[in-house]
Amino acid sequence: MYQVSNSGSLLKAHRRLLATDRAARVPRTVVLLGITSLLTDISSEMVVTILPLYLISVGGFSPLAFGVVDGIYNGAAALVGLASGVVGDRFRRHKEVAAGGYGLSAICKLLLATIGTAVSAIGTVVLLDRIGKGIRTAPRDAMISLSTPKEHLGVAFGVHRALDTTGAMIGPLVAFLILAAAPVAFNSIFVVSFCIAILGVSILVLFVRAPALAPGAGEPAARASLGSATALLKLPRFRGLLLAGGALSLATASDAFIFLALQRKLDLGNSLFPLLFVGSSMTYMMLAVPIGRLADRVGRGRVLLGGYAILLATYAVVLQPLGGWPVLALGLGLLGTYYAATDGVLMALASSVVPDEVRGSGLALVGTVTNIARLVASIVFGAFWTVWGIHSAMALFGVALVAAILLAALVLHRSRVPAGL
Amino acid sequence: MSQPASNRRLIVFGVLVAACVAGAAAAIVAGVSSGGSAAVVSANVRSALTDARAAHRPVVLYRRLNHRGQVGIASTAGADDAPDTLTPLSCDRVAFGGARGICLTRSRGFAAGYRAAIFGADLRITKSLGVEGIPSRARVSPDGRYGAVTLFVAGHAYAAAGTFATQTTLIDLAEGRKIADLEDFTVYHGSRQVTAVDVNYWGVTFAADDDTFYATLATGGKTYLIRGSIRRRLARTIHENVECPSLSPDGTRIAYKKRTGSSSAPWHLTILDLATMRETPLAESRSVDDQVMWLDDRHVLYGTDGAVWETAADGSGKPRRYLAHGDSPAVVRW
Repeated sequence: MYQVSNSGSLLKAHRRLLATDRAARVPRTVVLLGITSLLTDISSEMVVTILPLYLISVGGFSPLAFGVVDGIYNGAAALVGLASGVVGDRFRRHKEVAAGGYGLSAICKLLLATIGTAVSAIGTVVLLDRIGKGIRTAPRDAMISLSTPKEHLGVAFGVHRALDTTGAMIGPLVAFLILAAAPVAFNSIFVVSFCIAILGVSILVLFVRAPALAPGAGEPAARASLGSATALLKLPRFRGLLLAGGALSLATASDAFIFLALQRKLDLGNSLFPLLFVGSSMTYMMLAVPIGRLADRVGRGRVLLGGYAILLATYAVVLQPLGGWPVLALGLGLLGTYYAATDGVLMALASSVVPDEVRGSGLALVGTVTNIARLVASIVFGAFWTVWGIHSAMALFGVALVAAILLAALVLHRSRVPAGL
Repeated sequence: MSQPASNRRLIVFGVLVAACVAGAAAAIVAGVSSGGSAAVVSANVRSALTDARAAHRPVVLYRRLNHRGQVGIASTAGADDAPDTLTPLSCDRVAFGGARGICLTRSRGFAAGYRAAIFGADLRITKSLGVEGIPSRARVSPDGRYGAVTLFVAGHAYAAAGTFATQTTLIDLAEGRKIADLEDFTVYHGSRQVTAVDVNYWGVTFAADDDTFYATLATGGKTYLIRGSIRRRLARTIHENVECPSLSPDGTRIAYKKRTGSSSAPWHLTILDLATMRETPLAESRSVDDQVMWLDDRHVLYGTDGAVWETAADGSGKPRRYLAHGDSPAVVRW
């Protein structure tokens, strides 16, 4: 099952390396998938950064409407993700499905450069791009988990998420560099974005080897289908994880709201607003690997719950009366730590619960449930904010989060999710 | 993976890298040299505006859609094929009146911010004010005393990420300082003061009296035309469903974007007679997202589809292309 070290001597050499070289415990496949994600994130974030500017510049697309539409698109992408997880399992083609998703998003960048400024066309391309993202996520995470020994899942997801976040930070920088040279050269940005995306896909297609299933997972499981995906729900451990993940996500205020609250608290200008994102992403990037390793050692469930306790602390930082730069740094640091302790760790936890042959479906289900729960949470938070103000909204979410953490601890313990709980 | 296969993959990857680097480089070069003829800034361009003022000859400033977004100056006598006069200014939005203009332009360096540069008839920037957001509208009062800028700001509203708010700021161009954001003004809708949190303002237009202004107020999913006083920091709604108003030179009519309710063609350019409140749709059938600029009391200009267009203000005739490769027209009368 550990596909890179396919001979005993290699395995021994690998183990020796583990003792000395920390990076070496991460399989090649994971690093390559991380680089694919890094390039893809550079490509997509440089477009995301300038899309509002482009829409206003070409005119005709109300940015207000765009925000609403984007929410619907993300919902659609979550459902597509479920299908791609099932298809990847059914045909044992995680790599091909993931490549299709990365490829679709890459082509969308080229389409943006060629379709001109027709509003409906731009909307369609953005939808296709989101669908591409929906398609690739579950099979990619399945590949990460299937090519990593169980005891190192946390650090493997940590490495992938660290690379992914790095790309998300580089992308806007590249876009602004091009705009600085040629202020209205949107098509140049789309073409450059396409070129970077193609390199990302080609690394996946040319160099990533599809992970083999463990010998135990024999032919009968090749019938993995929607049926076997729903059969997953009969696994108490998986059901518990889904319930815990869903409940925690329902009590999660989106980072956009936390950034806004911090911005108001410190009366920051809008031009500094992107720096908030950079601050929390830097923390996430730096801590993803060490916290992943910690999760492998002390238990992923514990680290996951700890992550949400840190989110609770982030709410507290927003709610307490003091301001100033140290408070801002603390808030962003906590937020980044929360991401590092939950995003990849949840997938590592899920991977250790879901059988190999339905790994894609299982991870997709976890992703879809948590994404939809977070979408609902955002709508609810927005409504609370409008009616009662941001402090009451944050306080209510804090109470809900305490309840969700207690529920999750109970459920994870009851369903005996492994690794420490 | 066998050694030859692995080598072949490396070669394929190497070729792809080379192709992608070449493609990206070509795209950037194409972007830098796009936008029609590469007109050279002539030595006497700085006197283009001052000469026009001395001769009392009206001109149109506009943003040339070349890679730098340079400001061009054209004569008002139908200028589609007129030779370019390109200035050293590069602006996302430009406006000019009397003796001063505003150029909304990207800040130098890494910051994502913009600045509102105030410039004189000699096209020299006298003062730069930092502004936040993505430039949407810029206007200058007829004599150049006041300016107004509207920018889209993300993550400013209470609503979820991805939605936008607008920020509209009045600027005293003579003194080179911000007066106030329109959000700081007292605004009445009927007898009620507007206090909702979802209020947005955009698209200011100035009257010739150096005090009256009009703008769009949006709240509760509706838009209103407001008329206000700069000195008293006060405004009230006078009409519904008006976006990006533009006051005619004689001060009797407002040209604006009227929302149609259709998502594929959201706006129709319309004229509102301020005395009768009668609405007249213009002959432009495309959905235009621009703040109209009056060429004279009978014709309006606006940017759409990468060009500036002209159409009659009484709803007759049909639009004709006025300037190629341009937007943000600003008519200057002396």
